[in-house]
Amino acid sequence: MIRPSTSLAAFLAIGALSAPAMAQDASCPIKVGVLHSLSGTMAISETTLKDTVLMLVEDQNAKGGLLGCELEAVVVDPASDWPLFAEKARELLSVHEVDVIFGNWTSVSRKSVLPVVEELNGLLFYPVQYEGEESSKNVFYTGAAPNQQAIPATDYMIEEMGVEKFALLGTDYVYPRTTNNILEAYLKDQGVADADIFVNYTPFGHSDWSKIVSDVVGLGADGKKVGVISTINGDANIGFYKELAAQGVSAEDIPVIAFSVGEEELSGLDTSNLVGHLAAWNYFQSADGEANEAFVAKWKEKMGEERVTNDPMEAHYIGFNMWAQAVEKAGSTEVDAVREAMYGQTFENLTGSTAEMLPNHHLTKPVLIGEITEDGQFDILTQTDPVPGDAWTDFLPESAVLTSDWKDLGCGMYNTETETCVQTKSNY
Amino acid sequence: MTALAALWLALGPATAQTGSVQDLLQDQGDLIEQSSRRTIQPAIDAIVASGLERVQPVLQAWQNKALWRDAEGRFWRVIERDGAEILVDVDTGEETGPANTDAMEQIKPNSGIRALIGTALVQFQLTDPEPRRRREALVSITRDPEPELLAPLRASIETEEDADLRARKIRLERLLTMRFGTAEAERVSAIEALSTDTAVEVRAALNPLLATRLEVVPAGATPEGNVARALSPGGERLSMGAAYARLVEEGLAPARPDNSDIRAALEANREAGRVGGVPLGALGDPAVRARAYDALAARGTVPPRVEDGDVEAALGAHDFFGVYVEPSSAVTDAARAAITSIGLRVGAMKGVDIGLDALSLASIYFLAAIGLAVTFGVMGVINMAHGEFIMMGAYTAYLVQQIVPDRTLSLIAALPAAFVVTFAAGVAMERLVIRHLYHRPLETLLATFGISIALQQLAKIIFGTQARPLTAPDWLGGAWILNDVVGISYIRIAIFVLALMFLGFFLFLMKRTRLGLETRAVTQNPGMAGSVGIDPGRVNMLTFGLGSGIAGIAGVAIGLYAKVTSEMGADYIVQSFMTVVVGGVGNIWGTLAGAAMIGGLQKGIEVLNPSNTLAAQTYMIVAVIIFIQFRPRGIIALRGRAAGD
Amino acid sequence: MTGSFLKRNPSVPIMLGALLLVTFLVSILSEAAGGGLSTSFVKTLGMTLCLALAALAMDLVWGYAGILSLGNIAFFALGGYMIGMWLMTARTENIVAESLAGSVIPPTPAEIRDAVGGQIFGVVGSSDFPPIWSLSSSLWAQLALVVLVPSLLALVFGWLAFRSRVTGVYLSILTQAMTLALALYLFQNDSGLRGNNGLSGLQNLPGQGDVPQAQVALWFLWGSAVALGLGYVLCAWVVSGKFGAILRGIRDNEARVRFLGYPVEGFKLAVFTLSAAITGIAGALYYPQAGIVNPAEMMPIASIYLAVWVAIGGRGRLYGAVIGAIVVSLVSSFFTSGQLPDLDLGPLRIVWVDWWLVFLGLSFVAVTLFAPRGLGGLVDLWTHRRRPSRHGADLGPDRGSFREEEAEA
Repeated sequence: MIRPSTSLAAFLAIGALSAPAMAQDASCPIKVGVLHSLSGTMAISETTLKDTVLMLVEDQNAKGGLLGCELEAVVVDPASDWPLFAEKARELLSVHEVDVIFGNWTSVSRKSVLPVVEELNGLLFYPVQYEGEESSKNVFYTGAAPNQQAIPATDYMIEEMGVEKFALLGTDYVYPRTTNNILEAYLKDQGVADADIFVNYTPFGHSDWSKIVSDVVGLGADGKKVGVISTINGDANIGFYKELAAQGVSAEDIPVIAFSVGEEELSGLDTSNLVGHLAAWNYFQSADGEANEAFVAKWKEKMGEERVTNDPMEAHYIGFNMWAQAVEKAGSTEVDAVREAMYGQTFENLTGSTAEMLPNHHLTKPVLIGEITEDGQFDILTQTDPVPGDAWTDFLPESAVLTSDWKDLGCGMYNTETETCVQTKSNY
Repeated sequence: MTALAALWLALGPATAQTGSVQDLLQDQGDLIEQSSRRTIQPAIDAIVASGLERVQPVLQAWQNKALWRDAEGRFWRVIERDGAEILVDVDTGEETGPANTDAMEQIKPNSGIRALIGTALVQFQLTDPEPRRRREALVSITRDPEPELLAPLRASIETEEDADLRARKIRLERLLTMRFGTAEAERVSAIEALSTDTAVEVRAALNPLLATRLEVVPAGATPEGNVARALSPGGERLSMGAAYARLVEEGLAPARPDNSDIRAALEANREAGRVGGVPLGALGDPAVRARAYDALAARGTVPPRVEDGDVEAALGAHDFFGVYVEPSSAVTDAARAAITSIGLRVGAMKGVDIGLDALSLASIYFLAAIGLAVTFGVMGVINMAHGEFIMMGAYTAYLVQQIVPDRTLSLIAALPAAFVVTFAAGVAMERLVIRHLYHRPLETLLATFGISIALQQLAKIIFGTQARPLTAPDWLGGAWILNDVVGISYIRIAIFVLALMFLGFFLFLMKRTRLGLETRAVTQNPGMAGSVGIDPGRVNMLTFGLGSGIAGIAGVAIGLYAKVTSEMGADYIVQSFMTVVVGGVGNIWGTLAGAAMIGGLQKGIEVLNPSNTLAAQTYMIVAVIIFIQFRPRGIIALRGRAAGD
Repeated sequence: MTGSFLKRNPSVPIMLGALLLVTFLVSILSEAAGGGLSTSFVKTLGMTLCLALAALAMDLVWGYAGILSLGNIAFFALGGYMIGMWLMTARTENIVAESLAGSVIPPTPAEIRDAVGGQIFGVVGSSDFPPIWSLSSSLWAQLALVVLVPSLLALVFGWLAFRSRVTGVYLSILTQAMTLALALYLFQNDSGLRGNNGLSGLQNLPGQGDVPQAQVALWFLWGSAVALGLGYVLCAWVVSGKFGAILRGIRDNEARVRFLGYPVEGFKLAVFTLSAAITGIAGALYYPQAGIVNPAEMMPIASIYLAVWVAIGGRGRLYGAVIGAIVVSLVSSFFTSGQLPDLDLGPLRIVWVDWWLVFLGLSFVAVTLFAPRGLGGLVDLWTHRRRPSRHGADLGPDRGSFREEEAEA
C-alpha cells in the first residue's frame, strides 16, 4: 500500500536536532522502542502488545529503572503497512536512538524490519509464534518456533485424540503455508499417507465456510478419525467456528486444534458451541500460579476488567525482563554487550516453569494444550516441560542440516554437514 | 486444605472396604492423574472389570470432568446445584457437604480419553432406563466401533422399546457385523442391506474392508490371498519411484544413490586433492562427478550407480499386485459393489450440496448487492460507501443485541433499526454530498470513497478493531440436514428467504407504488418528470435512502452468518459492484442473474481446486472481467444504454 | 520547437529547476556527505519522488484522457516485483557463491541453483525456482520486464476493455477488479513470488554490501529525481501536442472525436500503456527504497489513493499531480507520526493517529465538492486565470465551450 512518508514528518518535527542527538551514546534515559501497529488491520492484535510493553516499562521504572536510569518508551505506529515497518525501525534506531525494540506481529513485517535492524545493529524482540527458518543476530525470538507449538500439538492430535487423517486449514499467508509444509513432512515421517492429509488455504477474513467444513466431514468416509489443524487467522475463525457449530460437528467427532486462536480472538465469539475444541500455546490466561495471577490482575487493573491476556503478551513479559537482566549484567545498553549477556539468561515464565535464552536466540518454552470453555477461556489439559526452540526445523530436508548458534559458532545459519557458515546476515 | 481434612475426619470416613470404587480409583490413581489416552486403557478396564455397582456414575462423572481429587489423594465426584459445588462419595453416592474445589484437583480427561470412557460405558448405557443415556451409548459406538461391542449391542436390541433407538441399534449392528462379524454370509448380507446408505459412517465402515497392501512377485507369478488388482509401475496407483523403493526394501534391487549420496561419497573418498583419479577442482561438472564416482564404484569402495535402464529392468522382472487385507473375496466383492452404488449416490448428492452452497453464496451476494442495484443500477450513483452501510447495519444489530438480551426479540428489533439507521445515513449523504455531484460519476466515486474511509475509521474508533459478537437465535443455529452429504445451515436458508423477500419487495416498490413510478420517471428523464410535478430531489433522496436501508438489513444478515468488523463492508464492495455490472445495470433480474453467476462460478472453481479457496476467488474475478469484455452491458442489458452512460 | 514546447509548458523549467535544487540541497546535507539529514529522510524523499512519478502517470490517463484507472497501483507493484526478482536472485547468488566456495568439492551449476532457490523460497517452504524466475539472474532482462510486464498487461486489458467500449465508472470498477485479482493471485504461495511475504531486503544492492545505506539512499534519490524529471518532460511533451489535444477531446466527448474520424481506441490504448510503463518504472525505483514489495501494496484502497492524490493536486495539469502526491504524503505523515499532541474536546478525545483517516476521507469529499480543481487551482489564482462557471458540470460543449487556455493549464 502506498503510504505516507512518515519519517519526513519526523524530520520536520525533530529536524536538525537529530544531529546533536547522535553525539551522546547509551546515556539516560534508556529508550525502549515500541514498533507495533496502532492502526490498520493488525492494530487489533498489536495494540495490546504496545500496552503490555508500556506496562512493563512502568513497572521497571517503579522498581528504580535500569543502571540508575529511567526507562522511556518511544511508541511509533507502522500502521499495519509492511514497508512502513522498515522506515519506522530506521527512525527508531537512527533518529530516536533507542536501545532496544519490542515489536512486530506478522512475519512479513519482521522480514521488512530485519535488514534495517541488522544494518544499524539494533536489538529486536519478536513476541509471536512464527514459522521458523530464520535466525538473525539482532533478533530475539520470544514466541514459539514450530517445534514449540505445531509439532507437539500434532503429536497430541495423533496420540491423545487418535487422529489418523488430517485437515490442515489455514489462511493463505506465509506462517500457515510454511507451518503446514513442515507439518506435512512431519506427518509423513509419522507414517501418515499422502492421501490422509487434506490441505486448504482461504483468504484473510474468509466467511463462506460451508463447503470446506463439508469437505472435512466427508474425509471421515474411509473410516479414519479426522482432526483439523487450524492456522486460520483472525476474523476468519469466527465464520469457521460458526459453520462447524451449524453443521453439528462436535469436538468429539472432529477435534480442531488451532495455533492462532487465543483469548483475544475468542472474545469476539459466542463460545458455547466451541467448547471442547483445542488450542496450542505456550501460555493461557487460565494458567495457575502467583506470577500469572499478579500479571493478569495488573493488566486488568490498567486496561479494564473485560480485557484478557494472551500468549504474545507473555512472550513480551519474558523478553522484557530478560533484556532488563541482561542490561544489568552487561552494565550497559550497548547492543553487542547485551546480546552476549542474553545467552543463558533465565526468567520465571507465567506458567510455573523457567524460560532460558538459548544461543540460537530462541527461548525454552512449555507447550500447553487447552480446551475452549464456555467463558471464552481455555482449560489447560496438558503442559509439557520447557522445550528448546529450534530455528531451523528438522523436518524439511533443506533445513534439517542447519543450526543456529550465535554464542560459540557466531553463525545463524550453520550447515552441520559441510561445517560451514552459510551466512551471518539474514537473506530475508 | 486442613479444613477439608478436618471435615473429612468429622464426617467419619466411609471405611475403606475391599472392592470399593475408591480403592479401585486409588489403584489406578497415577494413570488417571496422568490423563493420557495412550496409558489410560488399563485403568478403565480395571474399573469396568470390577463389576461394582457404582462404576457407571463414576465413569460418567470422570467423562464430564466432574471427578476431583482432594489433598489426601481421595477421589470425589463433585456436582453443582444452584451454583454451589457439592462433594459426592464415589462409593455410596451420598452427598457429604460443600466442596472446596480450590484445594482439590480436577481430573481433566481430554476428548480422546472421554471417547474411551464412552466406549467403556456402552455396556452399561445400552440398557440404561434413560433414553438419553442409551443414545449416548450409540453415539459412542458410532465414534469408536469396537468388535467387543457387537455382542452387548445385539443383546440390547430385543429389549429396546423406543422405535427410533431400535432402528438406530439395528443399523449399528449391521455396521459392526460387516466389519467384525464371524460368518461370511452375515457380513455380506449386512453389507448389502446398507448398500444404498450414503452416511459417512457406512462409508467409514465399508472402505476399510477394501484396504489393500502392495505385494511383489517374480514376473508371471500370482500372489497368495484375495487379489484386488495387478498394478503397473508408472501407472496411476503406483509410481515408478514407489515401485522401485519397494524392490529395494525387499532386497530385490540395489539402492539408488542420489546426488547428495554421490557428493558425500566423493567427499569421503578424496585422497591428495583427487578422488577417483579426478582432481577435486573439476568436480563442478556433473558428468565429471559421475566419472569419478564410477571409478570409485569400480574399486568397490562405493555401491555402483543405478542407471534408468537398470531400474526399468528390475521393475520388468517383477509383477506388482494390490492384495486385499480382508481374506474373504465374497465380502470384498459385496463391499466393492456397495461402495460403487453408494459412490454414485454420493456424487449426485455432492452435486446437490454444491448447488445449495452456490445458491446460498449467490443469495448473500444478491443481498449485499441489492441496495447497490437501487443506488447504482437505478440512479446511476456510484456509492463506494455501500459496504460501510452494510457494516453500519451489522453494528446496529450488535448494539440492539446488547440492549435486548433475548436473541429472537433482538433480531426482530434489529432489522427495522438497521433499516432506519442506514436510511437516515443514506439520506444525509445524498443531501450533503451526492446531490451536488449528479452527472459527475467519477467524482462521486471519489467523494463516496472518502466517506467510506471516514466511516470505516469511525467504526474502528467507536467499536475497536476487534470483531464483535452477533449471535443468531438458537432456532437459526443448526442446519437442515438431508443426509451426511447434503445439508445447509438454517442461517443460510434464512438469508436466502430474506433475499427472496427483498426481490419481491423491490419489484412491488418499483412496479406498484407511487414512489417506484416517480423513481422510474426521474431516472428516465428528470426534466420531464419535474415538469409533471414530481420533485426529483425528493425522489432521489428517498430512493437513495431506500438503497442504503436495504444495505443495512443485508448487514444484519451478513453479520449473523459471518462476523461484525469495521472491514466487513470492504470485503463485499468489489463483489457487489461486479454483481451489478455483470448482471446488467438498471434491472433487478440482472442483479439476480449476476449474483447467481458469480456464486456459481466461485463454487464451481472451488470444486475443481478444493485446496485453494483463494485461487477460486482469483479466477472468478478474472472470469468476470473477461465476461464483461464480451458482454459489456451485462447479462440482461437494457436497450438503448451503453456501458458507461 | 524547443522554444514553443517550453512556451506551451511553462511549468517544465520550474519543475526541473525545483527538482534539481532539492536534490542538490539534500545531497550536500545528507549523512553520506557528512551533513545532518538522516538516511531515512533521504529515503523518504526518494520514495516520495517515485510516488509523484506514479501520480504523474495517473494524471496522464485520468486528467487528460478521462480514464480513471484504478489499476495503476498494480503496474506500480509489478515494476517493483520485476526489479525485486533480480535484486533477490543476484544478492543470494553472491551469498551462496561465498558460502559454497569454502566447500571441498566445487558445486555443480544445479547445486548452486538449488542453494539459491532454497534461500529465496525457504521461507515459503519450497526450494525450486518457479518458471517466472527464469530470467531473474539477468539485470537487463529484468529491467526490460519492468517496462514490458506492466505495459503488456495494460495493452491486453486496455485492448479488451476499450474495444468493448467499456468506459467511465465501468472501466474504473473493472480495473479495480483486475487489481484485486492480481493481488489475490500474488497472495498465493503457488504463484511463485513468495506469497504474502513478497520480496524483501531489496534495499541491499547485490555486490554493494560495503556501501552504507546512506550512500545507497542518495543514489536512489538521484535516480528517482532523474526519472521524475524525464517523466515530467515526456508527459508534458505528450499532452502539449496534437496527441494531447485529441486526448482531451476524448475526455470531454468521446463520441465526437470518434465521429471526427480519430481511432479513439488506439489513442486510449497508447496513453494507457504509456502510463503503465511509467508507473512500472516508478515502482521499480520505489520498492528498492522501501525494502519490501508484497501483494498488500495493491489492495483496492491503495489504487484509490493514487487517484486521490491527483484529485487533490488538481487533475488535468501535470504539476497538480506532482504537488498532490507530495503534499498529501507529507500531511499524512505529519498526522500519523504520533508526535502531535492529542486534542481534548471534552467528551471526545482526538487521537490524531486514529482520527487522521477520518479527516482524510472527509477532505476528499470537501475537495470534490468545493475545489474540483484541487491545489492546482491556487496556481490559477496566482496567474489570474479564471474558468467559466460551469455549475459543477464537466468540461464540454453543453454549458460554455471549452477554451484552449483552460487546457493549457
